[in-house]
Amino acid sequence: MAMDMELEMVLRPPQLPMPPYPPKMVTLANGKVMVIRQAVREDVPAILKSVHPCLFIERDYYDVVSARVYGELLAWYRYRVKSEYCLLGQVDGYLVGLVNGRLENEKVGMSYHTLAIDRGLRIGSHLFAAKMEYHMEYLNQDQVLVVAESPIGFRRWMVEYPLIETRIPHELGGGDSWVLTRETYFNAKPRLVVGDRPVPQELMDEAMLDIKFADDDTIRERIAGLKGR
Amino acid sequence: MNKEIAITAYKCKKCGKIHYPFHDRCLECKGREFEKMHPEGDATLLAYTVIFNLPWGFDQRFLILGVAEFENHVKAMGQIKADSVDQLKTGMKVKPSWEPIKKQYGEDVYGLKFEPME
Amino acid sequence: MRDVAIIGAGMIPFGRRDEDTLMEMLAYASLKALDDAGLGDKTVDAVYVANMGGGMLQHQSAIASSLVDRLSLLPAAAETIENGPASGASAIKNGLLAVASGYYDYVLVVGGEKMREVTGWRATDFVATMTHPQAEYPYGITLPGMAGMFTRLYMEKHGVTREQLLAVSLKNQEMGTLNPYAHVEMALDRGGIFDSPHSVVNNPVSADPLHLYDLCPVSDGAAAIVICPLEMAKKHNKTPIHIAGFGQATDTQTLQEREDPTDLKAVSLAAQKAFEMAKLKPSDIHVAELHDAFTILEIAESEHVGFFKKGEGGKAAAAGKTRLGGQIPINVSGGLKARGHPVGATGVAQMVDIVWQLRHELPKNRQVKNAQNGLTVNFGGFGNNVLAFVLKRVE
Repeated sequence: MAMDMELEMVLRPPQLPMPPYPPKMVTLANGKVMVIRQAVREDVPAILKSVHPCLFIERDYYDVVSARVYGELLAWYRYRVKSEYCLLGQVDGYLVGLVNGRLENEKVGMSYHTLAIDRGLRIGSHLFAAKMEYHMEYLNQDQVLVVAESPIGFRRWMVEYPLIETRIPHELGGGDSWVLTRETYFNAKPRLVVGDRPVPQELMDEAMLDIKFADDDTIRERIAGLKGR
Repeated sequence: MNKEIAITAYKCKKCGKIHYPFHDRCLECKGREFEKMHPEGDATLLAYTVIFNLPWGFDQRFLILGVAEFENHVKAMGQIKADSVDQLKTGMKVKPSWEPIKKQYGEDVYGLKFEPME
Repeated sequence: MRDVAIIGAGMIPFGRRDEDTLMEMLAYASLKALDDAGLGDKTVDAVYVANMGGGMLQHQSAIASSLVDRLSLLPAAAETIENGPASGASAIKNGLLAVASGYYDYVLVVGGEKMREVTGWRATDFVATMTHPQAEYPYGITLPGMAGMFTRLYMEKHGVTREQLLAVSLKNQEMGTLNPYAHVEMALDRGGIFDSPHSVVNNPVSADPLHLYDLCPVSDGAAAIVICPLEMAKKHNKTPIHIAGFGQATDTQTLQEREDPTDLKAVSLAAQKAFEMAKLKPSDIHVAELHDAFTILEIAESEHVGFFKKGEGGKAAAAGKTRLGGQIPINVSGGLKARGHPVGATGVAQMVDIVWQLRHELPKNRQVKNAQNGLTVNFGGFGNNVLAFVLKRVE
């Protein structure tokens, strides 16, 4: 093996095996259907295009959250993170939100971030729930560590599930982590985790064909809700 | 130890109307003299709800609140000790108590609580 | 008493206006109304500013004094009116009385609120400060909580159903999509918020039995009107809208002290007075803006003002009688539900929407055809301070 590849293997963290997240579909408040499916590593450059405009939105800590998501997804693409995954929310093929996370070990998961690009439709709630569903029901883990970076996130995860406070540090030096246990998850599941499977082939095809992205201004408008005033 | 319910209601000396909270003049006859009274006995639930978007100062996921009428006709709002509104119905009997209802500056604030008896 | 008319009306889009301060919003709406009235550089005699939360949310007081200075309306008389979520209508009433008395000729009334400056917890707490400070507030009660208790009682007594509440929600959000001033411009789907099992997440219980989409949003916004004596109004450009009647009434602060908590006495009394003064009856009204901070309130108010008998309002809403083109179109603007509810602005915004209706200025898809008479109801506290106005188009 060439020397550079030997070094590369040292720099690349080992990956734990991860069974796939089976896609599901959710009817939103406006009647549209959101497909939630797992992204593959090759999707990352395209996804980053949608994350980029969010880097400049101060509202609700979108800047901080999207900067971190950008770094996390890039690290996944360039093999610099351990066992990361990303779930996408798509409506009519358009990316409306994403969540990511990783495995700390076989039994403990680390929830990274939730980024809702279309707002006011509880897309963040649905996607975060899908992420917890993945950790608990498909990766069969015992617990997931979660941090919130915005008041909205705190209310949606810490208060709504509700999560349990720990002293386990945040990966990037933020506030301490909170934990979702299997018991909390299955108690919360009836009111927070919904979706139908299987996703009909034509919807899946639409989602897989080519991830569609709104332009930067549309994304900023949807998040900031400024409507050109 | 059960704490006494620290609520004072006011019965108009002229017409007998019971007020809680306090009014400087009777809502019925404008009388200004009142006999102090305390809520007595169990209570009947008149109205209730569960709220999920709590105001600043409340950290729990939800809060069940209601208004109940004591045996001596004092009506007051309180927090309801139940896991769900499914356990409640208007007109049911509830047991009143005086317990911490929230924390302020690290100290317990006391108030009315009602527990379903059926 | 002189007859008084509205000669100018203006509003800025409601929503989350992070980039504007409270003063900027008040100023923008004021200028729109002054320009609409065609007053040019002429000043007004007095300015009444409706605002509920400047002191608490922006840590600002004497807002009216600041506004007249900013707008170069000096030395006009100015004051801020705080009357909870009915501040807007209260400010209009004060302006109306001042002009009717003959003391002032031209008066600007502007209402505004910037509620999104704080988190949802703080905004909920701010609104909850209207409740009784000892008997209610410490328990954590909120205005949606009061509405939840009221809704259950109303359902039990008058047979209102969740489906009827849903009809109000669907109608108002649909109308909101047509209103460029609305905070929420998203039509709801019955499946997504009611029929589908996914609705438990999309439309969760907020204050049982009310769900998320039974509640108005928390908004920033401002609206303004200019009034003057009807006689003088005729020489201005716009079709004058006569404030033909108004009424205001109060009720007990706590629901428990009302003989029948489902009876919104202050709404009935305010509307009765407004109708008597205008010499009109509910069936003479062609368009109404009712205070639907919660869907149940649109139904309950439609009964209490006399559009429908008690127990019939919910059925009427479900049957489409309150839609555009129906028996009595209610909240064609989208109401508080979709236009939003910046508390101090709401009463004025309702009036602006009715002025546009009676001037026949709206696009066809929101205009009540040939509307001559309109009604507004601005509901303060939980129905403990209510104002109603009857407006008439003057040909």
